[in-house]
Amino acid sequence: MSISQEARLSLLGWSFRGAGVTVREGVAFTADEIREALTRLSKGGVISEGVIVSTCHRSEIYSFAADDSARGALTRFVSEWRGLDQAELEGSCFYRAGEDAVRHLFRVAAGLDSLALGESEVLGQVRQALSLARESGTTRAVMHRLFESAVAAGKRVRSETEIARHPLSIPSIGFELAMKVFGDLSKHRVLVIGAGETGSLFARHAVEAGVREPVIVNRTFSRAEELAASIRGRAAPWDDLVREVPLADVVVSATSSPVHLVTRAIVEAAMRERRGRPMMLLDLAVPRDIAPDVQDVYNVYSYSIDDLEDVAKENQSRRAREVPVAEKIVQEELETYLAWLGNLSVVPTVTQWRRRLEELRDLELERAPASEREKLKGLLDAFAARILFEPLNRLKGEDDPARKLDRVEAVRHLFDLDKEP
Amino acid sequence: MDSHLLGWVAVGLYVAAEAYTILSLVRTRVPALPGPLLIGAGLALQFLDLELSARAMHSVPYKTIGGSMSLFGWMLGLSYLALIFRHRERAVGPFLIPFVILFSTLGLLLPQAAPAVRPDTRGTMFALHVTFAILGYAAFTFSFVLSLLYLIQNRQLRKVRTGLLFSRLPALDSIGGMIRTSVSIGLTVLGASVVLGVIWAERVWGTLPDAKLGAAILTLAVYGFLLWKDRRGWVGERVALLSILGFALILFSYTFVNFYFSAEHAFK
Repeated sequence: MSISQEARLSLLGWSFRGAGVTVREGVAFTADEIREALTRLSKGGVISEGVIVSTCHRSEIYSFAADDSARGALTRFVSEWRGLDQAELEGSCFYRAGEDAVRHLFRVAAGLDSLALGESEVLGQVRQALSLARESGTTRAVMHRLFESAVAAGKRVRSETEIARHPLSIPSIGFELAMKVFGDLSKHRVLVIGAGETGSLFARHAVEAGVREPVIVNRTFSRAEELAASIRGRAAPWDDLVREVPLADVVVSATSSPVHLVTRAIVEAAMRERRGRPMMLLDLAVPRDIAPDVQDVYNVYSYSIDDLEDVAKENQSRRAREVPVAEKIVQEELETYLAWLGNLSVVPTVTQWRRRLEELRDLELERAPASEREKLKGLLDAFAARILFEPLNRLKGEDDPARKLDRVEAVRHLFDLDKEP
Repeated sequence: MDSHLLGWVAVGLYVAAEAYTILSLVRTRVPALPGPLLIGAGLALQFLDLELSARAMHSVPYKTIGGSMSLFGWMLGLSYLALIFRHRERAVGPFLIPFVILFSTLGLLLPQAAPAVRPDTRGTMFALHVTFAILGYAAFTFSFVLSLLYLIQNRQLRKVRTGLLFSRLPALDSIGGMIRTSVSIGLTVLGASVVLGVIWAERVWGTLPDAKLGAAILTLAVYGFLLWKDRRGWVGERVALLSILGFALILFSYTFVNFYFSAEHAFK
């Protein structure tokens, strides 16, 4: 099935696959910049409808255009607006049109084109892109339907496959393991040893996982206080470390200590104090902060950074195994969208519109006396032709391809032309 | 209603509930409610079927092997619903419902013809003694299955195996809570059954039997010890193993003790 020829969706983008980080930084848009760019593109006549998707790994401009000239115009616009070298932009961009562009958007929404396969954030970013375009007045029915369909494809892929189910980030894996021991983490306590980059990441993730008031212990108390303040946690002095361990259900350690900070003796004492309640220890430090033999203590679950990285690799493979099913779902959603779009051609719409009026005419004629039907039929046909004359001329004569699709869609909706016969 | 049509429809509903809970395990976004609703509907129909049997034999239908199996299956279903409503954990459904199906089906397939009723086994106290015992054993059966699930999930956590079963099985804390609930139910009703049985035996036989009573008291002691230790921090693998030991004792009591040491008290 080919996409409607009246207007072709075009996509110009820069992604991690072809563009270096310098280019991606240059073409990254904030929400305000997206609004501004869309307004300027629209007012400058470069696009009539458009949506910009901008994430850490990609910036993509979707628009309706009559031909491939949009590519040059858009690259020029971005180059001038952001002060970037046009040749470099052209060398690192990718361009898709028609069905290929639709498929690309659906795959992006499904997380199939992401650096972390199946990641969920991109679905929200696609949804937000549509919302920003709507605020800027650069989407109408067709573009709206395109993005809604992409979001629907993304949702289906995530609910019908395992592609987004297995976490890939080390903090997510750590807290998934914790949740498989403790269930709801909001009722449990987390102790983070070390307020460096990894410790901060885990502390923030703990809050996202529902943990209330994580406790931060760091050699430099002020850094612990700083991190605790930023996540509504509690800072504890370094000297209290041994006292804090028994109070925590999950202990995360990420320091650069050359010796074990949490020894078997500390853990055994903690378990006595905890009366045997389970405890999880996540050691993210190299060299280790937590003695390896603590895993032999009853009801202690201890994992090193290597364990978590192994799970990440396994999860990556599990996600990859779901790709064929996900691609099949994308194809199904793509076909549904293209079938809808195919119906938006002017000629079949006009034919169906006329047929619908003829049906209505025949219904009315059935109520008239048989002797007068022929005469009335001629009258009603002439009346219908008069009524249709101007709208059909305007529909056929519309120069703006996106607006033409939009109007065809309006006619189909108003006269219910998509209902099953 | 000799065909036990209602009983078979109930089994059909249990099978549908099992299929649905497996589906909801694979596709986590399907609503949870239909599973318990199907079980509830099955329980209502199976109750009517048991009621018809009871009216026909003028007794709670545990006096035939088929009737007692049906009653056991029904009690399992009831225990399952109690666990689901108490813990809101649907992921255990696919592992527990097969036992409801198995025993309810066996009940319908095994002989239903009632032997001549011994006059000394008439009366409410005896009926309650047997009914409570069956409910207790149903609850302990689930504590056994849940303990196996606990050990499986615990092993997966220890070996860092994070596959499909790992992601679908509930948290250890949740399974542990369900073991506690089912053991508490079992202990309470089996305790009541033993007390009623002792009073009844004193009244009817004039003596306290027997090896089977000894096995029942030992079972109660094991499960009582389990709950006591559980409250004192023995949570985890050891509690699960103790629960399995308790269930082994029940099987021992039902087979070896029942057939070789308990002439009057034999359940045949």
